[in-house]
Parts: sequence; structure tokens; C-alpha cells
Amino acid sequence: MLGFVLAEALRDCRRAGRVGVSAVLLIALSLAALGGFWLFSLNLGRAIDQWRDRVRVVVYLKEEPSATKLGDLLRQIESVGGVQRVRYVSKGEALHSLKHALGAQADVTDQLPRNPLPASVEVTPDADTATPEGNRALVRRLAELPEIDEVQGGAQWVEGLAQFRHLFQLVGLGVGAVLGLAAILTVTTATTLVLHLRRDEMEIMRLVGATESVIRLPRVLQGMAQGLLAATIALGVLEAVYAVAAPRLEPLLPLTLGLQRAIFLSPPQILVLMVSGGILGALGGLLARSGRKPHAR
Amino acid sequence: MIRLLHVSKVFGEGPARVPALSDVSFTVEKGEFVVLSGGSGAGKTTLLRLLYRDELPSEGEIEVADFEVTELRRSEVPQLRRSIGVVFQDARLLDGRTVFANVAFVLRVLGTPRREVRPRTLASLKAVGLSARAQAYPHQLSQGEAQRVALARALVKSPALLLADEPTGNLDDDMGTEILELLKEIGSRGTTVFLATHQARVATQLKRRTLTLAGGHLLKDEG
Repeated sequence: MLGFVLAEALRDCRRAGRVGVSAVLLIALSLAALGGFWLFSLNLGRAIDQWRDRVRVVVYLKEEPSATKLGDLLRQIESVGGVQRVRYVSKGEALHSLKHALGAQADVTDQLPRNPLPASVEVTPDADTATPEGNRALVRRLAELPEIDEVQGGAQWVEGLAQFRHLFQLVGLGVGAVLGLAAILTVTTATTLVLHLRRDEMEIMRLVGATESVIRLPRVLQGMAQGLLAATIALGVLEAVYAVAAPRLEPLLPLTLGLQRAIFLSPPQILVLMVSGGILGALGGLLARSGRKPHAR
Repeated sequence: MIRLLHVSKVFGEGPARVPALSDVSFTVEKGEFVVLSGGSGAGKTTLLRLLYRDELPSEGEIEVADFEVTELRRSEVPQLRRSIGVVFQDARLLDGRTVFANVAFVLRVLGTPRREVRPRTLASLKAVGLSARAQAYPHQLSQGEAQRVALARALVKSPALLLADEPTGNLDDDMGTEILELLKEIGSRGTTVFLATHQARVATQLKRRTLTLAGGHLLKDEG
């Protein structure tokens, strides 16, 4: 029986002709668009995660604490909640960093009568606090400490980017959904045309007592085969674009997204894309309907 | 094998209502050969379609091969149809498939084990005298040969009941006689045959029990 069903599905694929080719191309297009959005979003997500890890809140102190008071102050800061780790930056270390940043012009700082830079504590928020709300609350809590002069920093810009990524994903899904729907309709049309050609066969099948599953399964398999073929094409296109574009974009990535290299879809993600193609095609095959021949009375 | 009790069938509703069968009752025993005679529009095809559950009656009860046809769920209809063979006025062979493939198609659709398909198909073709034409395509057959292939296709699954709807309607007298002889032979082997025809000479030629329909009413049951 399986042999019969597969042979019929293969026969249907051949009969689908140009409409079948259109269906495959449309599914490939929708999956390539979806995969493209996914690929970009994946790399943007990596960049955002990296930036999120680098979010720091800088707590400027009114006075440089003595060695004995420093330990208490750091414990006090850690105990406000939402703090992953703290690092004390003394006035001397701050000046040293400034000189390092100024490079050749570092001797400008020698003209200063005294070190004007305040001592500070770099606070790294924990994962739960690295949100705009959590960050604002942390800044408020830190500002209430008596030894604190000013608190700076936040994750707002990173979150803005995260929201852009979210929006980008939604647009990608929307475009994918529209193209996916179009693909289903095309497969449905292709399969319906094949069913029209096969109307006589289906009449005979029903007449001799074939179950609906035996009658329908070849159509579903035909759609699934088209979908899998389309997914393979889409992945091939994505892989080719990635192979061509990634080396050219590599010098720009550290400067723009802060990434060393762009990554491609992982094997599980490739599998998801393949399965999506199969499901899109199978749905088209499942939704196809054939007209019945009128009978004489 | 067949039992109809006060069966009526109406197509359409309101002003478009067309009664096709009215209060038809009869019984056909297992192994019987019965001719259903009547002019065009008498309701013969409708009656046959009720028997293989292509239509449901508007009223009445139908029993075929131990199946309560009117009570069957959709999913149970294939079981009924496996015990019925049907041939039509046109042979309805599948183009692009050989005679052998047309007949074997039925067995393959029904999931018959592969090793049984070939011998059963060849046996069925032999029974209708077409062994030599097994590799021919439908367009290479005469109408009589095509009708014999249709018979082989109906018989290959060894049905208990054979329904024939105007099987000689498209054939000349000689070819028609050949088909009728084949049907008689099939009947003599124990298969119940229910043959619908508008040709009065067919009923005369067969000399079997004849039910006569006119305007959807069963007028006569004789022989």
C-alpha cells in the first residue's frame, strides 16, 4: 500500500507541471525571506546580548573612601539588590584611564593642580535587572545611599535596539506569514489542478472501496515533497548569499554590531526551516479539493 | 443480497423538487440475476447509486450484502463498496495505463499483497477473454473490449454483487450479446448480478427476473 501511495504521489508531482514549479518557487521564496529575516535577527540578537553584558551603572562617590571604609561601601552597594558584581575605581585609576584614553595628549593632565576625577564604583546589573525598568529602579536605589554623589548609566539604548529587533522579527514573521499563505494557496491550486486531471482515478478509487486516507495521502505527500524541495532551494539560496556576503561584511561587523563574524543558521534551525517547508506543502495538498463528475439519472 | 423497503428519492427542494424514485420495495436473493428495466429517466441509475451509497434515499430502508446502507457512517462506505463491483455504460478506463494496470489498479488501491496482484489480475482478464490484450492501452481497444476490461476491473476483487448500469448501451448487437453472455457466466459462478437497461431486447434475451421502473415507480416484478 505504501508503495502504491508513493508511486501515485510521484505521478502527481510529474503531472503538476508548471503550476507545481510555481508552487515550489513560491514556497522557496517565502522560506528564503523568512530565513533571511531569521538570519539577520539571529546576528542582531547576538550583538544585543553582547551589548547587554557590557551595560554598566557608574556610581560616583562624594569622597574617596579610606581602605577600611571601602569594603563596607562595596557591601552596601551589593546589598541594594539586582547587582551582579562591583568594581571600585579609585581617583588615581580614573586619571590613569583618562591618560590612556588621551594617548599623545596625556600630558595635558599634568597641568591640573590636582586630580579632579571622582572615585567611582562600576556596577554590573544582574540579568533580571538589565531591563529599562530594572535599571531605573537600581539607579534610584543606588542614588539613595549617602556616600553617593551621582549615578550614571543605563540600558535604555540597548533596550531600544532590542525593541527594534523584536519589531524586525514581527515584520519578518508577518512577511513570512503572507508569503507562506500565498505558498499554501499556490500548492492548493497546483494540487487541485492535478486532482482535476485525476478525477477519473479518484472516482474509480472511491467506487471500488478505497478509504479517504488512501485517496488523499498521495496529494499530501505530493505537497510535502514540493515543500521539502522548496525548503532545500531556499536554504541553498540563503547559504549562497551568506557565503558571498559574510566575508565582505566581516570588516564592518566589529564596527557596527560589535561582532567578529556573522553566523549562519544552526542545524536545528535548518531543520525547522525544512519542516516548515514540508508542512506548508502538505497543508496545500490537504486543502486541495476536486470537483465530482455529474451523474445521469 | 439486496433489500429495498419503501424507498423514495427526491432531488432538490420546493419548486425545484424532482422525485426520482417513489416507494420502491423489492428483494434480490444471493446468486440471483435480476434485470432492472425502464426508459430514460425512469430512476434506474438513481436506484443503482443508492445501492452503492453514492446517494442516500429520502425515505425507506436499503440493505446490501448485509450492510444497512442507510445507517452506514461515511467511514464505513468503503467496506460496502468492496463487496460491490460496478460497471457503467462507458467503460471509464484510465488513460495512460495499460489494460493490465487498469485492472491491477483496483487491487493496489485496496492494499492487496503485491504477490497476489499479478495472478489475480491475469485471472480476471482471462475470465473476460482479454489475456492477449493485457499490455494494450484504452485507446487501442474496441468499445466491446473496453467494456470487458471494465468487467474485469469490477470482478478482480471478487465482489458478492455486480451492478451493471447500461453495460451494453454503447455497443452494437454482437458486442452487446458478448457482454451479456459474459454477465450470464459471471452470474452462473455465484455472483449476484443486478443489471439496469433501457433496452427491452436485453431483458428478453436474458430471460431472467425483470423489475420494470417507470417514472420512479416499480411497475412490474416478473420472471
